[in-house]
Amino acid sequence: MIGFIIRRIGQAVIVIAGVTVIVFILRHLLPGSIARAIIGLRATPGQVAAFNRENGLDRPLPLQYVTFLNQLLHGNLGYSFKQNMSVDAIVVHDLPNDLLLVGVSLVLALLIAIPVGIWQAVRRNKLVDYAATGISFVLYSMPAYLLGLLLIAFFAVNLRVLPAEAPQQPTIGGVLSDPAGLVLPVATLTLITVALFSRYMRSSAIDSLTQDYMRTARAKGLRQTTILYRHLLRNSLIPIATLVGISMPGILTFGLIVEQLFNFPGVGLAYFNAAVNGDYPVVFGVTVLVAVATVLGNLIADIAYALLDPRVRYD
Amino acid sequence: MSVLEIDGLRTFIKQRAGVVRAVDGVSFAIEPGETIGLVGESGCGKTMTGLSIMGLLPNRGFIADGAIRFGGADLATVNEAAMRKVRGNEIGIVFQDPMTSLNPTMTIGHQIAEVVSEHRGVSKAAAMARAEEVLALVGMPRPAERLEYYPHQLSGGLRQRVMIGIALACEPRLLIADEPTTALDVTIQDQILALLDELKQRLGMAVLLITHDMGVIAGRADRVLVMYAGKIVEQAVTGQLFHRARHPYTGALLASIPRLDQPVKQRLYAIPGVPPDLANPPAGCRFAPRCRFATDECTGSEPALGGPDPAHPYACFHPIGPGSALTPAEVTEGHDRPGGSGAPSDLLALDHIVKEFPVTRGGLLRRAVGTVKAVSDVTLTIRRGETLGLVGESGCGKTTIGRMIVALERPTSGRVLFEGQDVGGLSGAPLRQVRKDLQIMFQDPYASLDPRMRVGSILREPLQIQGLGSAAEQRARIADLLREVGLSPRSSALYPHEFSGGQRQRIGLARALALSPKIIVADEPVSALDVSIRSQILNLMRRLQAAHGLTYVVISHDLSVIRYLADQVGVMYLGKIVEVGSRTDVYERPAHPYTLGLLNTIPVPDPEVERAKQGVAVAGEIPSAMDPPSGCRFRTRCPLARDICAAEEPVLRSFGGEHQAACHFPLQTPAGESDVSGVPVR
Repeated sequence: MIGFIIRRIGQAVIVIAGVTVIVFILRHLLPGSIARAIIGLRATPGQVAAFNRENGLDRPLPLQYVTFLNQLLHGNLGYSFKQNMSVDAIVVHDLPNDLLLVGVSLVLALLIAIPVGIWQAVRRNKLVDYAATGISFVLYSMPAYLLGLLLIAFFAVNLRVLPAEAPQQPTIGGVLSDPAGLVLPVATLTLITVALFSRYMRSSAIDSLTQDYMRTARAKGLRQTTILYRHLLRNSLIPIATLVGISMPGILTFGLIVEQLFNFPGVGLAYFNAAVNGDYPVVFGVTVLVAVATVLGNLIADIAYALLDPRVRYD
Repeated sequence: MSVLEIDGLRTFIKQRAGVVRAVDGVSFAIEPGETIGLVGESGCGKTMTGLSIMGLLPNRGFIADGAIRFGGADLATVNEAAMRKVRGNEIGIVFQDPMTSLNPTMTIGHQIAEVVSEHRGVSKAAAMARAEEVLALVGMPRPAERLEYYPHQLSGGLRQRVMIGIALACEPRLLIADEPTTALDVTIQDQILALLDELKQRLGMAVLLITHDMGVIAGRADRVLVMYAGKIVEQAVTGQLFHRARHPYTGALLASIPRLDQPVKQRLYAIPGVPPDLANPPAGCRFAPRCRFATDECTGSEPALGGPDPAHPYACFHPIGPGSALTPAEVTEGHDRPGGSGAPSDLLALDHIVKEFPVTRGGLLRRAVGTVKAVSDVTLTIRRGETLGLVGESGCGKTTIGRMIVALERPTSGRVLFEGQDVGGLSGAPLRQVRKDLQIMFQDPYASLDPRMRVGSILREPLQIQGLGSAAEQRARIADLLREVGLSPRSSALYPHEFSGGQRQRIGLARALALSPKIIVADEPVSALDVSIRSQILNLMRRLQAAHGLTYVVISHDLSVIRYLADQVGVMYLGKIVEVGSRTDVYERPAHPYTLGLLNTIPVPDPEVERAKQGVAVAGEIPSAMDPPSGCRFRTRCPLARDICAAEEPVLRSFGGEHQAACHFPLQTPAGESDVSGVPVR
């Protein structure tokens, strides 16, 4: 098991290294040049040359990459000239808020989707199954911003029970001090994720239900609840672990939309604003960060998979 | 008092097409300590009878009528809570496929302990202690250690022992064994059946043994119930049933088994047609449409289960007897090969072929951790127009040899010489050219035909690839092929799922025949089929061989199938040929202890022969092909093994003519040696 995790981490490092190469190349593909993109189109050639010399951009590309990598390894994601602060500062400041939003939504989504999926599988082709399937299709096919707007329209505008905006204090403590403001962003992200997960959980559980070992479990005289909990749950979760891993980029993208919609003080919002304003260092820094998050998500999913399924541990 | 008494049981399954009457008025009783055999073709309601007793019917299945009396209660009507107390506690059940019947994510210790704590209410530790005891009881080596194993770490035979352990953990009064050995190798089947017998004696329980295999029934059952189309058609004490069968269906079942003691030239009896659709069963006797004795009386009214002897009832108006021919006269007509003038020439030669598969670990950073030595130095020749049979347990390398012959695998070393040309060295156009002569037919008629292609397209594809004939000529060829294998030319417009298993295997044979090949490799051609259908396909294969002068390589674990088809027989063990020779040499004068062991494992449909067998013919399990034993590979399971067997690998020695075996202590005297070096076993 330890060996398996070490190999998996090794693979994750290789993937992240690949991402840094792509980001590095993208930096050099900017329209004009990095210097023009950062100090503006009206800068004189002398100013550009000075900027390049100052930032080491006149050195050969491989050397520049080594420097870039070295900075990344030391947690230096770059410097935003537009905001006149380091990208790290921006990210470190906002990241806990994102972890809160995405983490809480993901956990809630799993807590809802797993029982709902199993319940649908057990009562498949009955009324509750059709109803749950209908709801999840509606949610799944709805764009994230539309779902968010509908929730705002209903709960914030019509009923006036919840604020339409996320907590506006930028620190994690501030965000937590206003839990009511978190409800709608978390609900939006959770509902979309539940729709996806519950569909897969349903088919995975139906698949497990038809397996011979479920018949063996019944032949032992076990209670239905025991059979579902002990024999069905773990076997049905195996494909879900992989699904959660590969859905990570999608969930992060939904998170970005939700942050923009609710003006949530997170990295997603910073990323969105930076992209709109042409604040390239922030865009690149966050790109590296999202890649790391995705790879980490998959790593955790793979480990969860190995924990759930004894057959893969010895590979 | 009977352990179980079933009275007028009717179990129906609701389907879109209508209500399937899977079990239709079945009555029988099982006495304490008795083994009842329930036989019949698939789809005749045997399994549904077992599942009805356990209350484990599929979703749309229900008991429509009748009583299942067990321990003072009627299991047909008790509530779920009461039924739960019976399942796993008073009645245990063993299913067919041990590979899928165990939960892959739980240790086997937990899977056994679970049933103990459910019914005995003991502590976790006590339940686990009982699990260890049970594992020892079912003959699991090193039980304490194995508690922590997951199912995938065990072989099929050991998994079936675990299944039996689960069924027996609470010492039930009745054990239902539903095809408990069908998915297992013959050697392991023998071990598992012996174990079930021994446990039955020791625990004094009753057993309901459900199987399609008359041989399995012969040695193990006290009484036999023959089921057809949801009804019991005959019931008798085992000896009486085998020797004095009264129902034509029983007679036909017995006649359609290829036996080791029947004349080889004789055609197998095949029951025509297939069992009826139970959603819409025929009027009168349900067997009438397939019965050669049927008259108008049979289709007009239904015979009741009865007869002069209350201990041997049957449901037939025209019972057969010891005097009447069980099988139609044409059966005894032999069918000969096309007249061979002189000795036939060699068509194919395997020259010291070796096939090793690397075993790798890791995804991105692959590394070899060993090699599976699937085939190790095999040399064989196959003569034109003859049949070579390859026999051995799973994992012995017989399928790999078949794949190398048709150039689906390349040998790691050695040569596959087809008409003097090394097939393994060919590629591109010359390989495509030679493939025309080398065709294969597969085991699973369900998986080997593309479900989205019509039969016509399946048969046309090889012709198109080889560019043979115009569209009209191809159509004519397809019609011929279908007629040749006994299907209507109109079948070409249908999809594979519209055919039964036996019909699909005919399509598979037609596909192999399409290019008029010289060799057809048939890999377990009938092992997925019912006995009655099996003999239809075997007869067809023999007829086609005679008509086209085909050369067959037949691969099977079933020695009786090999005996029926093969002229030359090669016995394989762990990648090696241990014995090779003519059919008579191998079956009547086996020189290798493994061959003798295999011959002894075959269940013979004769109660006296089966009961005379003692002990287990081949003990233990086949070792890993990644790390085969030194010297003689069979020595770890051989009753005659001595020190030299581990130190020195035996070479193939001649035992007269082409009969060769590789053994230090052969059971026959090698050619040119005077003294007998072998010690006879058993």
